[in-house]
Amino acid sequence: MNAIRRNAGEIATVLILSAALAVPFLTEDPFVYSVANQIFIAITAAFSVYLMLRMDLLTFAVPVFMAVGGYTVAIAGLKGGVTDSFVLTALSFLVPALIALPLGILVLRLKGVYFVLVTFVLTEITQLVLFETPGLTGGSNGLVGMPPTTLFGLELADNRAVLLLAIGVTVTGAIITALVTSYHRQNFAAIEENETLAQSLGLVVWRYKVLGFVVAAGLAGMAGFSLVNMLLTAHPTSFSASSSVNYIAYTIVGGRVSMLGPVVGSVLLVWMSNLFSNQGQYSQGLFGLLIIIVTLVARGGIVGTLANLVAFLRNWFRQNDNITAAAPPSALSEHT
Amino acid sequence: MQGGELRVENISKRFGGLRVFTDLSFKIAPAEILGVIGPNGAGKTTLINVICGKLAPSSGQILLDGRPVTGKPVHELSRRGLVRSFQQTNTFKSATVRENLSRAIRFSGSPISIWDRLNDLLKQFDLAPRLDEPSDKLPYGMQKMLGLLLAYTTRPKVLLLDEPAAGLERRERTQVDVFVKAAQADFGCSVLIVEHDMDLIRRLCPQILVLDAGHLLAAGTPEDVLSRRDVIDAYMGVGDDEEVVA
Repeated sequence: MNAIRRNAGEIATVLILSAALAVPFLTEDPFVYSVANQIFIAITAAFSVYLMLRMDLLTFAVPVFMAVGGYTVAIAGLKGGVTDSFVLTALSFLVPALIALPLGILVLRLKGVYFVLVTFVLTEITQLVLFETPGLTGGSNGLVGMPPTTLFGLELADNRAVLLLAIGVTVTGAIITALVTSYHRQNFAAIEENETLAQSLGLVVWRYKVLGFVVAAGLAGMAGFSLVNMLLTAHPTSFSASSSVNYIAYTIVGGRVSMLGPVVGSVLLVWMSNLFSNQGQYSQGLFGLLIIIVTLVARGGIVGTLANLVAFLRNWFRQNDNITAAAPPSALSEHT
Repeated sequence: MQGGELRVENISKRFGGLRVFTDLSFKIAPAEILGVIGPNGAGKTTLINVICGKLAPSSGQILLDGRPVTGKPVHELSRRGLVRSFQQTNTFKSATVRENLSRAIRFSGSPISIWDRLNDLLKQFDLAPRLDEPSDKLPYGMQKMLGLLLAYTTRPKVLLLDEPAAGLERRERTQVDVFVKAAQADFGCSVLIVEHDMDLIRRLCPQILVLDAGHLLAAGTPEDVLSRRDVIDAYMGVGDDEEVVA
Protein backbone atom coordinates (compact mmCIF):
# COMPACT_ATOMS: atom_id res chain seq x y z
CA MET A 1 0.00 0.00 0.00
CA ASN A 2 2.84 2.36 0.92
CA ALA A 3 4.58 1.54 -2.36
CA ILE A 4 1.44 2.46 -4.29
CA ARG A 5 1.13 5.74 -2.38
CA ARG A 6 4.81 6.50 -2.88
CA ASN A 7 4.57 5.88 -6.62
CA ALA A 8 1.10 7.37 -7.11
CA GLY A 9 2.33 10.01 -9.58
CA GLU A 10 4.14 7.46 -11.72
CA ILE A 11 1.25 4.97 -11.69
CA ALA A 12 -1.34 7.67 -12.47
CA THR A 13 0.77 8.99 -15.36
CA VAL A 14 1.22 5.58 -16.98
CA LEU A 15 -2.50 4.77 -16.56
CA ILE A 16 -3.64 8.13 -17.98
CA LEU A 17 -1.31 7.85 -20.96
CA SER A 18 -2.37 4.24 -21.57
CA ALA A 19 -6.01 5.35 -21.51
CA ALA A 20 -5.08 7.92 -24.17
CA LEU A 21 -4.65 5.03 -26.61
CA ALA A 22 -8.43 5.36 -27.02
CA VAL A 23 -8.13 8.96 -28.32
CA PRO A 24 -7.48 8.03 -31.99
CA PHE A 25 -10.74 6.05 -31.99
CA LEU A 26 -12.86 8.89 -30.59
CA THR A 27 -12.47 11.23 -33.55
CA GLU A 28 -11.39 11.37 -37.15
CA ASP A 29 -10.65 15.09 -37.16
CA PRO A 30 -7.18 15.55 -38.72
CA PHE A 31 -6.64 18.75 -36.69
CA VAL A 32 -7.18 16.84 -33.43
CA TYR A 33 -4.81 14.13 -34.66
CA SER A 34 -2.17 16.74 -35.46
CA VAL A 35 -2.44 18.51 -32.08
CA ALA A 36 -2.55 15.19 -30.22
CA ASN A 37 0.59 14.04 -32.05
CA GLN A 38 2.40 17.23 -31.03
CA ILE A 39 1.23 16.77 -27.44
CA PHE A 40 2.49 13.19 -27.15
CA ILE A 41 5.83 14.08 -28.76
CA ALA A 42 6.09 16.97 -26.30
CA ILE A 43 5.28 14.71 -23.33
CA THR A 44 8.00 12.21 -24.28
CA ALA A 45 10.56 15.00 -24.71
CA ALA A 46 9.44 16.65 -21.46
CA PHE A 47 10.03 13.36 -19.59
CA SER A 48 13.67 13.78 -20.60
CA VAL A 49 13.81 17.22 -18.96
CA TYR A 50 11.88 15.91 -15.94
CA LEU A 51 14.33 13.07 -15.37
CA MET A 52 17.28 15.47 -15.35
CA LEU A 53 15.48 17.88 -13.04
CA ARG A 54 15.09 15.00 -10.55
CA MET A 55 18.83 15.53 -10.04
CA ASP A 56 18.57 19.32 -10.15
CA LEU A 57 20.17 19.43 -13.59
CA LEU A 58 18.62 21.71 -16.17
CA THR A 59 19.37 20.48 -19.68
CA PHE A 60 18.96 22.20 -23.02
CA ALA A 61 20.25 19.09 -24.81
CA VAL A 62 16.85 17.49 -25.50
CA PRO A 63 16.81 18.53 -29.21
CA VAL A 64 20.33 17.05 -29.56
CA PHE A 65 19.19 13.58 -28.62
CA MET A 66 15.86 14.00 -30.40
CA ALA A 67 17.88 14.66 -33.54
CA VAL A 68 20.04 11.59 -32.95
CA GLY A 69 16.95 9.41 -32.38
CA GLY A 70 15.05 10.93 -35.29
CA TYR A 71 17.90 10.71 -37.80
CA THR A 72 18.73 7.18 -36.61
CA VAL A 73 15.27 5.88 -37.51
CA ALA A 74 15.25 7.89 -40.75
CA ILE A 75 18.59 6.42 -41.81
CA ALA A 76 17.56 2.94 -40.65
CA GLY A 77 14.38 3.22 -42.72
CA LEU A 78 15.87 4.79 -45.83
CA LYS A 79 19.20 2.99 -46.01
CA GLY A 80 18.56 -0.16 -44.00
CA GLY A 81 14.93 -0.77 -44.90
CA VAL A 82 14.07 -1.16 -41.22
CA THR A 83 10.39 -0.37 -40.62
CA ASP A 84 9.40 -2.46 -37.61
CA SER A 85 8.08 -0.12 -34.90
CA PHE A 86 9.58 -2.10 -32.04
CA VAL A 87 13.03 -2.15 -33.64
CA LEU A 88 12.85 1.56 -34.52
CA THR A 89 11.68 2.48 -31.00
CA ALA A 90 14.54 0.47 -29.51
CA LEU A 91 17.04 2.08 -31.92
CA SER A 92 15.74 5.57 -31.17
CA PHE A 93 16.34 4.92 -27.47
CA LEU A 94 19.61 3.02 -27.64
CA VAL A 95 21.64 5.10 -30.11
CA PRO A 96 21.18 8.44 -28.27
CA ALA A 97 21.72 6.64 -24.96
CA LEU A 98 25.02 5.17 -26.20
CA ILE A 99 26.19 8.58 -27.43
CA ALA A 100 25.14 10.14 -24.12
CA LEU A 101 27.25 7.72 -22.10
CA PRO A 102 30.73 9.15 -22.88
CA LEU A 103 29.27 12.63 -23.33
CA GLY A 104 27.67 12.45 -19.90
CA ILE A 105 30.88 11.34 -18.22
CA LEU A 106 32.47 14.45 -19.74
CA VAL A 107 29.82 17.16 -19.25
CA LEU A 108 28.45 16.00 -15.91
CA ARG A 109 31.70 17.14 -14.30
CA LEU A 110 30.28 20.61 -14.76
CA LYS A 111 27.83 22.10 -12.33
CA GLY A 112 25.13 24.75 -12.31
CA VAL A 113 25.20 27.34 -15.03
CA TYR A 114 28.25 25.77 -16.74
CA PHE A 115 26.37 22.52 -17.30
CA VAL A 116 23.36 24.42 -18.64
CA LEU A 117 25.60 26.43 -20.97
CA VAL A 118 27.36 23.35 -22.35
CA THR A 119 24.08 21.56 -23.05
CA PHE A 120 22.93 24.65 -24.95
CA VAL A 121 26.16 24.73 -26.95
CA LEU A 122 25.61 21.05 -27.82
CA THR A 123 22.36 21.99 -29.58
CA GLU A 124 24.23 24.49 -31.77
CA ILE A 125 26.96 21.96 -32.53
CA THR A 126 24.25 19.46 -33.50
CA GLN A 127 22.72 21.94 -35.94
CA LEU A 128 26.15 22.48 -37.47
CA VAL A 129 26.74 18.74 -37.84
CA LEU A 130 23.28 18.16 -39.37
CA PHE A 131 23.74 20.92 -41.95
CA GLU A 132 27.38 20.12 -42.76
CA THR A 133 27.16 16.34 -43.23
CA PRO A 134 24.84 16.02 -46.25
CA GLY A 135 26.13 12.54 -47.08
CA LEU A 136 24.67 11.15 -43.90
CA THR A 137 21.92 13.58 -42.87
CA GLY A 138 20.89 15.15 -46.17
CA GLY A 139 22.22 18.53 -45.02
CA SER A 140 19.77 21.40 -45.42
CA ASN A 141 17.38 19.17 -47.40
CA GLY A 142 17.10 16.71 -44.55
CA LEU A 143 16.05 13.10 -45.12
CA VAL A 144 12.76 12.60 -46.91
CA GLY A 145 10.81 9.67 -48.31
CA MET A 146 11.00 7.36 -45.34
CA PRO A 147 9.02 4.15 -45.72
CA PRO A 148 6.00 3.87 -43.37
CA THR A 149 6.65 2.08 -40.11
CA THR A 150 5.07 -1.30 -39.56
CA LEU A 151 3.64 -3.24 -36.64
CA PHE A 152 3.72 -7.03 -37.01
CA GLY A 153 4.00 -6.46 -40.77
CA LEU A 154 1.04 -4.06 -40.98
CA GLU A 155 1.79 -0.58 -42.35
CA LEU A 156 1.16 2.31 -39.96
CA ALA A 157 0.58 4.87 -42.68
CA ASP A 158 -2.67 6.71 -41.92
CA ASN A 159 -3.14 9.52 -39.40
CA ARG A 160 -4.75 7.27 -36.80
CA ALA A 161 -1.91 4.73 -36.95
CA VAL A 162 0.73 7.47 -36.69
CA LEU A 163 -0.99 8.89 -33.61
CA LEU A 164 -1.34 5.42 -32.09
CA LEU A 165 2.38 4.89 -32.56
CA ALA A 166 3.16 8.28 -30.95
CA ILE A 167 0.99 7.39 -27.94
CA GLY A 168 2.59 3.93 -27.74
CA VAL A 169 6.05 5.51 -27.74
CA THR A 170 4.96 7.97 -25.04
CA VAL A 171 3.55 5.18 -22.86
CA THR A 172 6.83 3.27 -23.29
CA GLY A 173 8.73 6.44 -22.34
CA ALA A 174 6.46 6.92 -19.33
CA ILE A 175 7.08 3.35 -18.14
CA ILE A 176 10.87 3.79 -18.50
CA THR A 177 10.76 7.13 -16.65
CA ALA A 178 8.54 5.68 -13.92
CA LEU A 179 10.77 2.64 -13.41
CA VAL A 180 13.98 4.67 -13.24
CA THR A 181 12.65 7.45 -11.02
CA SER A 182 10.82 5.18 -8.60
CA TYR A 183 13.64 2.62 -8.30
CA HIS A 184 16.24 5.36 -7.72
CA ARG A 185 13.89 7.80 -5.99
CA GLN A 186 16.02 8.15 -2.84
CA ASN A 187 19.27 8.50 -4.78
CA PHE A 188 17.90 11.14 -7.14
CA ALA A 189 16.19 13.02 -4.29
CA ALA A 190 19.42 13.06 -2.28
CA ILE A 191 21.39 14.39 -5.27
CA GLU A 192 18.72 17.03 -5.93
CA GLU A 193 18.61 18.21 -2.33
CA ASN A 194 22.20 17.95 -1.13
CA GLU A 195 24.77 16.38 -3.43
CA THR A 196 27.68 17.11 -1.11
CA LEU A 197 26.05 15.34 1.83
CA ALA A 198 25.02 12.40 -0.35
CA GLN A 199 28.64 11.96 -1.47
CA SER A 200 29.97 12.22 2.05
CA LEU A 201 27.61 9.43 3.11
CA GLY A 202 29.00 7.17 0.38
CA LEU A 203 26.66 7.67 -2.59
CA VAL A 204 28.46 7.41 -5.93
CA VAL A 205 26.78 10.52 -7.28
CA TRP A 206 28.39 10.57 -10.75
CA ARG A 207 27.10 7.07 -11.47
CA TYR A 208 23.47 8.07 -10.94
CA LYS A 209 23.93 11.32 -12.82
CA VAL A 210 25.31 9.45 -15.82
CA LEU A 211 22.47 6.91 -15.58
CA GLY A 212 19.91 9.74 -15.53
CA PHE A 213 21.62 11.52 -18.44
CA VAL A 214 21.75 8.34 -20.54
CA VAL A 215 18.09 7.45 -19.93
CA ALA A 216 17.03 11.07 -20.53
CA ALA A 217 18.91 10.98 -23.86
CA GLY A 218 17.09 7.76 -24.79
CA LEU A 219 13.71 9.31 -23.96
CA ALA A 220 14.52 12.36 -26.09
CA GLY A 221 15.55 10.01 -28.90
CA MET A 222 12.14 8.32 -28.72
CA ALA A 223 10.46 11.72 -28.98
CA GLY A 224 12.63 12.36 -32.04
CA PHE A 225 11.38 9.10 -33.56
CA SER A 226 7.73 10.15 -33.06
CA LEU A 227 8.45 13.58 -34.55
CA VAL A 228 10.16 12.19 -37.65
CA ASN A 229 7.44 9.58 -38.05
CA MET A 230 4.76 12.29 -37.91
CA LEU A 231 6.54 14.60 -40.37
CA LEU A 232 7.94 11.75 -42.54
CA THR A 233 11.03 13.95 -42.70
CA ALA A 234 14.14 14.37 -40.62
CA HIS A 235 15.18 18.00 -40.93
CA PRO A 236 17.58 20.10 -38.84
CA THR A 237 14.96 22.79 -38.17
CA SER A 238 12.82 20.25 -36.31
CA PHE A 239 15.58 20.06 -33.68
CA SER A 240 16.46 23.72 -33.22
CA ALA A 241 18.15 24.98 -30.08
CA SER A 242 15.17 27.20 -29.31
CA SER A 243 12.81 24.21 -29.16
CA SER A 244 14.59 23.13 -25.96
CA VAL A 245 12.95 26.12 -24.22
CA ASN A 246 9.55 24.60 -25.05
CA TYR A 247 10.35 21.24 -23.44
CA ILE A 248 11.72 22.95 -20.34
CA ALA A 249 8.59 25.14 -20.19
CA TYR A 250 6.28 22.11 -20.46
CA THR A 251 8.04 20.50 -17.49
CA ILE A 252 8.42 23.52 -15.23
CA VAL A 253 4.97 24.99 -15.90
CA GLY A 254 3.34 21.57 -15.49
CA GLY A 255 5.38 20.86 -12.39
CA ARG A 256 8.68 19.13 -11.74
CA VAL A 257 7.47 17.50 -8.52
CA SER A 258 5.62 14.66 -10.24
CA MET A 259 5.60 12.78 -13.52
CA LEU A 260 2.14 14.21 -14.07
CA GLY A 261 3.72 17.67 -14.37
CA PRO A 262 5.28 17.19 -17.83
CA VAL A 263 1.98 15.65 -19.03
CA VAL A 264 -0.16 18.53 -17.77
CA GLY A 265 2.33 21.14 -19.00
CA SER A 266 2.63 19.60 -22.45
CA VAL A 267 -1.14 19.25 -22.93
CA LEU A 268 -1.79 22.80 -21.79
CA LEU A 269 1.01 24.60 -23.59
CA VAL A 270 0.85 22.70 -26.87
CA TRP A 271 -2.92 23.23 -26.91
CA MET A 272 -2.40 26.96 -26.18
CA SER A 273 0.25 27.21 -28.91
CA ASN A 274 -2.22 25.85 -31.41
CA LEU A 275 -4.99 28.05 -30.06
CA PHE A 276 -2.85 31.12 -30.70
CA SER A 277 -1.23 29.69 -33.81
CA ASN A 278 -1.69 32.96 -35.68
CA GLN A 279 0.71 34.50 -33.21
CA GLY A 280 3.04 31.49 -33.16
CA GLN A 281 6.11 33.71 -33.26
CA TYR A 282 5.28 34.85 -29.73
CA SER A 283 4.97 31.36 -28.25
CA GLN A 284 8.57 31.12 -27.01
CA GLY A 285 8.29 34.56 -25.42
CA LEU A 286 5.06 33.42 -23.79
CA PHE A 287 6.71 30.22 -22.54
CA GLY A 288 9.65 32.21 -21.16
CA LEU A 289 7.22 34.51 -19.36
CA LEU A 290 5.35 31.51 -17.94
CA ILE A 291 8.62 30.01 -16.64
CA ILE A 292 9.40 33.29 -14.87
CA ILE A 293 5.90 33.52 -13.38
CA VAL A 294 5.88 29.89 -12.23
CA THR A 295 9.39 30.18 -10.78
CA LEU A 296 8.39 33.30 -8.87
CA VAL A 297 4.94 32.39 -7.57
CA ALA A 298 4.38 28.62 -7.91
CA ARG A 299 7.66 26.70 -7.94
CA GLY A 300 5.88 23.36 -7.96
CA GLY A 301 4.16 24.26 -11.24
CA ILE A 302 0.49 23.47 -11.83
CA VAL A 303 0.60 19.95 -10.36
CA GLY A 304 2.71 21.02 -7.36
CA THR A 305 0.42 23.96 -6.61
CA LEU A 306 -2.70 21.80 -6.84
CA ALA A 307 -1.08 19.18 -4.58
CA ASN A 308 -0.21 21.90 -2.04
CA LEU A 309 -3.76 23.24 -2.21
CA VAL A 310 -5.24 19.78 -1.59
CA ALA A 311 -2.84 19.23 1.35
CA PHE A 312 -3.75 22.66 2.76
CA LEU A 313 -7.49 22.00 2.51
CA ARG A 314 -7.10 18.54 4.03
CA ASN A 315 -5.20 20.00 7.01
CA TRP A 316 -7.74 22.80 7.35
CA PHE A 317 -10.68 20.40 7.44
CA ARG A 318 -8.82 18.12 9.84
CA GLN A 319 -8.06 21.02 12.20
CA ASN A 320 -11.69 22.16 12.09
CA ASP A 321 -12.83 18.62 12.88
CA ASN A 322 -10.44 18.49 15.82
CA ILE A 323 -11.66 21.85 17.16
CA THR A 324 -15.27 20.70 16.86
CA ALA A 325 -14.49 17.37 18.54
CA ALA A 326 -12.56 19.04 21.35
CA ALA A 327 -15.19 21.71 22.06
CA PRO A 328 -17.47 21.12 25.05
CA PRO A 329 -21.14 20.40 24.18
CA SER A 330 -22.22 23.77 25.60
CA ALA A 331 -19.86 25.63 23.23
CA LEU A 332 -21.33 23.80 20.26
CA SER A 333 -24.90 24.50 21.26
CA GLU A 334 -24.15 28.23 21.55
CA HIS A 335 -23.24 28.32 17.87
CA THR A 336 -26.07 26.14 16.62
CA MET B 1 35.03 -2.71 15.79
CA GLN B 2 38.51 -1.19 15.37
CA GLY B 3 39.02 2.47 14.60
CA GLY B 4 41.29 3.59 11.82
CA GLU B 5 44.68 5.26 11.88
CA LEU B 6 44.92 8.52 9.96
CA ARG B 7 48.33 9.90 8.96
CA VAL B 8 48.69 13.28 7.34
CA GLU B 9 52.17 13.72 5.87
CA ASN B 10 53.51 17.08 4.74
CA ILE B 11 50.32 18.23 3.10
CA SER B 12 49.98 21.71 1.68
CA LYS B 13 47.05 23.41 0.04
CA ARG B 14 47.19 26.42 -2.23
CA PHE B 15 44.44 28.21 -4.15
CA GLY B 16 46.42 29.96 -6.87
CA GLY B 17 48.78 32.27 -5.01
CA LEU B 18 47.01 31.84 -1.67
CA ARG B 19 48.63 29.34 0.68
CA VAL B 20 45.97 27.97 3.02
CA PHE B 21 48.36 25.69 4.93
CA THR B 22 51.85 24.43 4.35
CA ASP B 23 53.66 21.23 5.22
CA LEU B 24 51.26 19.92 7.85
CA SER B 25 51.93 16.53 9.42
CA PHE B 26 50.14 14.73 12.22
CA LYS B 27 48.75 11.33 13.12
CA ILE B 28 45.57 10.12 14.80
CA ALA B 29 45.97 6.66 16.31
CA PRO B 30 43.02 4.24 16.35
CA ALA B 31 40.36 5.36 18.87
CA GLU B 32 42.25 8.61 19.58
CA ILE B 33 40.54 12.01 19.70
CA LEU B 34 42.49 14.95 18.34
CA GLY B 35 41.29 18.53 18.59
CA VAL B 36 42.25 21.16 16.03
CA ILE B 37 41.85 24.79 16.98
CA GLY B 38 42.88 28.06 15.47
CA PRO B 39 41.55 31.49 14.58
CA ASN B 40 39.15 31.97 11.69
CA GLY B 41 41.00 31.61 8.40
CA ALA B 42 43.65 29.32 9.86
CA GLY B 43 42.71 26.60 7.36
CA LYS B 44 40.84 24.20 9.66
CA THR B 45 37.82 23.55 7.41
CA THR B 46 40.06 23.36 4.35
CA LEU B 47 42.10 20.75 6.21
CA ILE B 48 38.95 18.64 6.68
CA ASN B 49 37.99 19.20 3.04
CA VAL B 50 41.41 17.94 1.95
CA ILE B 51 41.41 14.91 4.25
CA CYS B 52 37.90 13.80 3.26
CA GLY B 53 38.70 14.06 -0.46
CA LYS B 54 36.58 17.09 -1.33
CA LEU B 55 39.74 19.01 -2.24
CA ALA B 56 42.99 17.58 -3.52
CA PRO B 57 46.11 18.64 -1.60
CA SER B 58 48.71 20.66 -3.51
CA SER B 59 51.38 18.34 -2.10
CA GLY B 60 51.86 15.69 0.54
CA GLN B 61 49.90 12.55 1.24
CA ILE B 62 47.18 11.14 3.46
CA LEU B 63 47.20 7.54 4.68
CA LEU B 64 44.29 5.62 6.15
CA ASP B 65 45.40 2.50 7.99
CA GLY B 66 48.75 2.78 6.24
CA ARG B 67 47.30 2.95 2.73
CA PRO B 68 47.55 6.15 0.67
CA VAL B 69 44.14 7.69 0.02
CA THR B 70 45.27 11.08 -1.28
CA GLY B 71 42.96 12.41 -4.01
CA LYS B 72 40.45 9.58 -3.69
CA PRO B 73 36.85 10.73 -4.21
CA VAL B 74 34.68 11.60 -1.21
CA HIS B 75 32.29 8.67 -1.66
CA GLU B 76 35.13 6.16 -1.80
CA LEU B 77 36.77 7.49 1.38
CA SER B 78 33.38 7.51 3.06
CA ARG B 79 32.90 3.86 2.12
CA ARG B 80 36.34 3.15 3.62
CA GLY B 81 35.24 4.71 6.89
CA LEU B 82 36.67 8.23 6.61
CA VAL B 83 33.55 10.31 7.21
CA ARG B 84 32.98 13.97 7.94
CA SER B 85 30.30 16.21 9.42
CA PHE B 86 29.65 19.78 8.36
CA GLN B 87 29.99 23.15 10.04
CA GLN B 88 26.53 24.27 8.96
CA THR B 89 23.43 22.16 9.49
CA ASN B 90 23.57 19.65 6.71
CA THR B 91 20.63 17.34 6.16
CA PHE B 92 18.35 16.43 3.28
CA LYS B 93 16.03 19.34 4.01
CA SER B 94 12.66 18.20 2.70
CA ALA B 95 13.16 14.60 3.81
CA THR B 96 11.94 13.48 7.21
CA VAL B 97 14.34 12.51 9.99
CA ARG B 98 13.57 8.86 9.25
CA GLU B 99 14.22 9.31 5.51
CA ASN B 100 17.47 11.13 6.23
CA LEU B 101 18.75 8.25 8.33
CA SER B 102 17.43 5.64 5.88
CA ARG B 103 19.35 7.36 3.08
CA ALA B 104 22.52 7.39 5.18
CA ILE B 105 22.11 3.64 5.81
CA ARG B 106 21.43 2.99 2.12
CA PHE B 107 24.30 5.11 0.78
CA SER B 108 26.88 3.82 3.24
CA GLY B 109 25.85 0.19 2.96
CA SER B 110 25.34 -0.06 6.73
CA PRO B 111 23.10 -2.88 7.97
CA ILE B 112 19.48 -2.13 8.90
CA SER B 113 20.29 -3.31 12.41
CA ILE B 114 22.08 0.01 13.01
CA TRP B 115 18.62 1.39 13.81
CA ASP B 116 18.91 -0.42 17.16
CA ARG B 117 21.91 1.73 18.06
CA LEU B 118 20.40 4.85 16.55
CA ASN B 119 17.19 4.59 18.59
CA ASP B 120 19.02 5.25 21.83
CA LEU B 121 20.76 8.35 20.45
CA LEU B 122 17.55 9.59 18.84
CA LYS B 123 15.92 9.47 22.29
CA GLN B 124 18.83 11.31 23.91
CA PHE B 125 18.71 14.06 21.30
CA ASP B 126 14.88 14.34 21.52
CA LEU B 127 14.58 13.28 17.89
CA ALA B 128 12.68 10.04 18.52
CA PRO B 129 9.22 11.67 18.61
CA ARG B 130 10.03 13.71 15.50
CA LEU B 131 11.07 10.92 13.15
CA ASP B 132 8.37 11.79 10.63
CA GLU B 133 8.96 15.54 10.57
CA PRO B 134 10.83 17.15 7.65
CA SER B 135 14.34 17.91 8.85
CA ASP B 136 14.16 21.60 7.87
CA LYS B 137 11.26 22.06 10.29
CA LEU B 138 13.40 20.98 13.25
CA PRO B 139 15.04 23.51 15.59
CA TYR B 140 18.64 24.36 14.64
CA GLY B 141 20.17 22.25 17.40
CA MET B 142 18.23 19.17 16.38
CA GLN B 143 19.19 19.63 12.74
CA LYS B 144 22.80 19.82 13.83
CA MET B 145 22.53 16.63 15.88
CA LEU B 146 20.75 14.91 13.00
CA GLY B 147 23.67 15.88 10.77
CA LEU B 148 26.03 14.18 13.24
CA LEU B 149 23.80 11.10 13.37
CA LEU B 150 23.99 10.81 9.59
CA ALA B 151 27.77 10.52 9.91
CA TYR B 152 27.35 8.04 12.80
CA THR B 153 25.06 5.87 10.64
CA THR B 154 27.93 5.18 8.23
CA ARG B 155 29.85 3.32 11.00
CA PRO B 156 32.96 5.52 10.67
CA LYS B 157 36.50 4.40 11.36
CA VAL B 158 37.75 7.98 11.34
CA LEU B 159 35.31 10.78 12.07
CA LEU B 160 36.05 14.36 11.03
CA LEU B 161 33.85 16.80 12.93
CA ASP B 162 33.79 20.36 11.62
CA GLU B 163 32.70 22.65 14.47
CA PRO B 164 30.05 20.28 15.84
CA ALA B 165 29.07 22.72 18.61
CA ALA B 166 28.84 25.82 16.42
CA GLY B 167 25.47 27.54 16.84
CA LEU B 168 24.35 25.21 19.64
CA GLU B 169 23.09 26.63 22.91
CA ARG B 170 25.35 25.97 25.87
CA ARG B 171 23.01 23.34 27.32
CA GLU B 172 22.91 21.55 23.95
CA ARG B 173 26.67 21.29 23.59
CA THR B 174 26.96 18.34 25.95
CA GLN B 175 25.04 16.36 23.32
CA VAL B 176 28.19 16.54 21.21
CA ASP B 177 30.04 14.78 24.06
CA VAL B 178 27.33 12.12 24.15
CA PHE B 179 27.60 11.71 20.39
CA VAL B 180 31.40 11.38 20.32
CA LYS B 181 31.43 8.93 23.20
CA ALA B 182 28.70 6.82 21.57
CA ALA B 183 30.57 6.76 18.24
CA GLN B 184 33.75 5.69 20.02
CA ALA B 185 32.00 3.08 22.14
CA ASP B 186 30.08 1.62 19.19
CA PHE B 187 32.71 1.78 16.46
CA GLY B 188 35.97 2.51 18.28
CA CYS B 189 36.49 5.31 15.78
CA SER B 190 39.24 7.89 15.78
CA VAL B 191 37.95 11.45 15.88
CA LEU B 192 39.32 14.75 14.63
CA ILE B 193 37.39 17.72 16.05
CA VAL B 194 37.73 21.22 14.68
CA GLU B 195 36.13 23.49 17.24
CA HIS B 196 36.16 26.94 18.83
CA ASP B 197 34.46 25.83 22.06
CA MET B 198 37.46 25.36 24.37
CA ASP B 199 35.37 23.76 27.11
CA LEU B 200 34.33 21.06 24.69
CA ILE B 201 37.92 20.66 23.46
CA ARG B 202 39.15 20.26 27.04
CA ARG B 203 36.44 17.70 27.84
CA LEU B 204 36.93 15.54 24.78
CA CYS B 205 40.45 15.94 23.45
CA PRO B 206 43.55 14.58 25.23
CA GLN B 207 45.67 16.11 22.44
CA ILE B 208 45.21 19.22 20.36
CA LEU B 209 46.86 21.02 17.46
CA VAL B 210 46.83 24.75 16.94
CA LEU B 211 46.80 26.08 13.39
CA ASP B 212 47.67 29.67 12.69
CA ALA B 213 47.80 31.11 9.18
CA GLY B 214 48.31 27.67 7.71
CA HIS B 215 51.15 26.63 10.02
CA LEU B 216 51.22 24.25 12.94
CA LEU B 217 51.77 26.59 15.87
CA ALA B 218 51.59 24.16 18.75
CA ALA B 219 50.70 20.58 19.67
CA GLY B 220 50.14 18.87 23.01
CA THR B 221 47.62 18.55 25.80
CA PRO B 222 44.97 21.27 26.12
CA GLU B 223 46.38 22.36 29.48
CA ASP B 224 49.86 22.93 28.05
CA VAL B 225 48.87 24.38 24.72
CA LEU B 226 46.07 26.71 25.77
CA SER B 227 48.21 28.49 28.30
CA ARG B 228 51.01 29.26 25.86
CA ARG B 229 51.54 32.94 25.13
CA ASP B 230 52.00 32.47 21.36
CA VAL B 231 48.75 30.47 21.16
CA ILE B 232 46.85 33.11 23.10
CA ASP B 233 48.27 35.86 20.91
CA ALA B 234 47.49 34.02 17.70
CA TYR B 235 44.08 32.80 18.71
CA MET B 236 42.64 35.67 20.66
CA GLY B 237 44.80 38.52 19.54
CA VAL B 238 45.33 39.39 23.23
CA GLY B 239 48.44 39.33 25.35
CA ASP B 240 48.99 39.21 29.12
CA ASP B 241 48.67 35.95 30.97
CA GLU B 242 45.09 35.30 29.97
CA GLU B 243 44.31 31.73 28.94
CA VAL B 244 42.26 30.94 25.84
CA VAL B 245 38.68 30.78 27.06
CA ALA B 246 36.58 31.19 23.94
